[in-house]
Amino acid sequence: MLYRKTITYLSLLLLCLCGVFACTKGNGTDNQADKLDRKPMLTHYADEYVLPGYDALLQDLNALKDKATAFTANPSATTLAATKSAWQEAYLTWQTVDMLEFGPAEDISLRSYMNTYPATESKIEGNIALGSYNLETFGNKDAQGFPALDYLLNSQSSTGTIDLYTTNAQSAAYKTYLNNVINKMIEKVSAVKTAWGTNRDAFIGATGTDAAGSLSKMTNAVVLYYERFLRSGKIGYPVGAMTGTPLPGHVEAAYSPELSKALAVKALESYIAFYEGKQYNGTAGTNGMKGYLAGIGTKDNGVLMADIISQSLNEGLTALNGLSGTLKDGVSNNRVAVLNVYDKLQGSVALLKVDMVSAFGISITYVDNDGD
Amino acid sequence: MSHRFTYHALTQMLRKPVYSASLATFRILFGLMILASMIRFFTKGWIEELYIKPVFFFKYYGFEWVHNWGPYTYLLFIICAVSALTFALGYRYRLSAIVLFCSFTYIELLDKTNYLNHYYFVSLALFLMIWLPAHCTCSVDCRRNPALKRRMVPLWTVTSIRLLLGIVYVYAGLAKLNSDWLLEAMPLRLWLPAQNDLPLVGSLLSQTWVAYVFSWFGAVYDLSIPFFLLFRTTRPWAYATVIIFHVATSILFPIGMFPYVMILATLIFFPSATTDAVCMRIQRWIPGIPLAADQSVYTFKRTHSRLLAGLFIPFFLFQLLFPWRYLLYRDELFWTEEGFRFSWRVMLMEKLGYAQFIVEDSKTGKRTVVNNDLFLTDNQEKMMSTQPDFILQYAHMLAQHYKAEGWHEPKVFATIYVNLNGRRSTLYINPSTDLSQEKDKFAHKKWIIPFKDKIYGL
Repeated sequence: MLYRKTITYLSLLLLCLCGVFACTKGNGTDNQADKLDRKPMLTHYADEYVLPGYDALLQDLNALKDKATAFTANPSATTLAATKSAWQEAYLTWQTVDMLEFGPAEDISLRSYMNTYPATESKIEGNIALGSYNLETFGNKDAQGFPALDYLLNSQSSTGTIDLYTTNAQSAAYKTYLNNVINKMIEKVSAVKTAWGTNRDAFIGATGTDAAGSLSKMTNAVVLYYERFLRSGKIGYPVGAMTGTPLPGHVEAAYSPELSKALAVKALESYIAFYEGKQYNGTAGTNGMKGYLAGIGTKDNGVLMADIISQSLNEGLTALNGLSGTLKDGVSNNRVAVLNVYDKLQGSVALLKVDMVSAFGISITYVDNDGD
Repeated sequence: MSHRFTYHALTQMLRKPVYSASLATFRILFGLMILASMIRFFTKGWIEELYIKPVFFFKYYGFEWVHNWGPYTYLLFIICAVSALTFALGYRYRLSAIVLFCSFTYIELLDKTNYLNHYYFVSLALFLMIWLPAHCTCSVDCRRNPALKRRMVPLWTVTSIRLLLGIVYVYAGLAKLNSDWLLEAMPLRLWLPAQNDLPLVGSLLSQTWVAYVFSWFGAVYDLSIPFFLLFRTTRPWAYATVIIFHVATSILFPIGMFPYVMILATLIFFPSATTDAVCMRIQRWIPGIPLAADQSVYTFKRTHSRLLAGLFIPFFLFQLLFPWRYLLYRDELFWTEEGFRFSWRVMLMEKLGYAQFIVEDSKTGKRTVVNNDLFLTDNQEKMMSTQPDFILQYAHMLAQHYKAEGWHEPKVFATIYVNLNGRRSTLYINPSTDLSQEKDKFAHKKWIIPFKDKIYGL
């Protein structure tokens, strides 16, 4: 009796397993499962975006260091212009890696050393006057990085700036500070780049979707970046989208108003490229978040969410590109247009933060969950 | 007359003596699982993270008086763990059961962010256990006082635990009978590919048809397993399925101890005579175990029987009816979550929200965007963003906070986007509703924007 039942149960089980394998074979041509492999995606991001990105930034920062060394050795209109141009170049490159605040960059809070703005003038002047300061400390985050360099290089006319580094009583201290800030930036980016070198394998190996998985960490970081640092930091906060009070001094690169919009454009272009899985050099690829999301296949009215997000991000970019005049002036005097850019950027926040994240099935915490 | 006869037959049947080993085994395993769960909470640092660190707690309606004990919250967990151990050992059983029920439930009431259906199940089972003579064999109490030993207990004591388990399964199964689960394979279709890096089966989990198989199997399993466990012929296979099913869910989903609690709890479906025989065999190896060996039957005093009938019958009626309260609300249950909790709705929704709160000074018009990180943990924020009662509690807290900061009658507005089971996110509540003026009631919250789609079924 029991024997016969065992046979029945086992044959049923066998039948089910056969069914499973038959179906698997039948679906062999369906490459949806391949798209959902997280390892190639993580490998793409580490090797084709993050590592070359930090390489490029480090290269630009070293170029800036050379120009600044030349300038401090021999302050002139020519050497100053070369330094300014190298600073601008590096600042634009920073926008391509600013979103990568996960892993090594998160560990040392790279962004806070590189781009805390607005810079606090009194703190910078105080440090220079005092001659002793520790750029490592939290209190000095707004006295270093690109914004501090912006102040040191661009807050005065060219002759005024050259005077600071020549005839000013504290010219030596100015020179030291300028070089120290650049050295600190190089130190921080080098540290991140080195750590990425050692952590690369661990990063692409953590294919899980729990809070410790690389996809979860990376996605949460880039989604947070878009909302807080791109949308709010670059546009929303200065224009006072929520408060109604413009804060022109809070635009990025406040001493170089003609640059703010270019930085924002660069940031958003990079963000779209990152999402779409392009390599750092711009070559198109399919191993990005967009491809993965398309593989999962969530749709709205028959259109893939993956495409809807691309479209929405590009609408933001179009609006931003269409903005005339400087951001610094625009937040006060061209509010309707700037607020429109903000709305267009805002349109992507829920798509990224809710629709993409939930389709990815990633966790943000380690606690138990029985599915809401 | 026949009605009276049926009633008589039923009560007679429920009083039929069965072996008390069944109840004692449940007591031991259940107590040890709770103890393990408390130790797990401690080692993962969750006591600090979930119950001490947060600056704000989402209280249950009517339980606003429940507070953590600051740094002494650890003591609360120690009380719970110690009583779980003495409960398992059957040492001062009634006292242990009462303290365990109270401390465990108190912990669960601290913050509804941490609501899990299986914690609710544990509280309910412990409540029942307070009244049951689970210490009349194989307990320290029996060793201290052998006169307590009874080898038999009335059938209804064991049946009530089986019934509770049966309700949990069947209601969890009924909740799956909806179009998202059965026709769209949602949310498993999103959750399974997230586990496709598992060895061997990983690549299968990316296949849509596998999500359908899991969905349908899960629904059939939940609806039928208590019945298959009840009958002798199907029981061994049913229990094997219980083990496979729950081990699979524990590998695939972050549901903690629940699978193991269920694997051990369902042992109570085995006949009490079998459990008794197993206990007797164990006693041959470990002679110290105080087992009741005669055929003595635990009898309840007549007044106690009446009292317990007056307690257990309403208890189970409540369990049978309460999950249906959602029918009294008009909009989609998964969207509004009005009547969602305490109804064995498990693993049904992939729901995520994005909530941005704005506080406005009524007098000056000054506005600010709230940084949710200042008030809520990541997990609290996640739970708050998709559940209207959380949203309202949070808004009220914000109004209070800003008032204390000197703002005039702060208004609180929220722009919230929520998606459900793969649908595109849409606006969840009316962004122009001043939430500080809304009351938390059991009536439908009119400021929830109606669900744009339709989910068919239960």
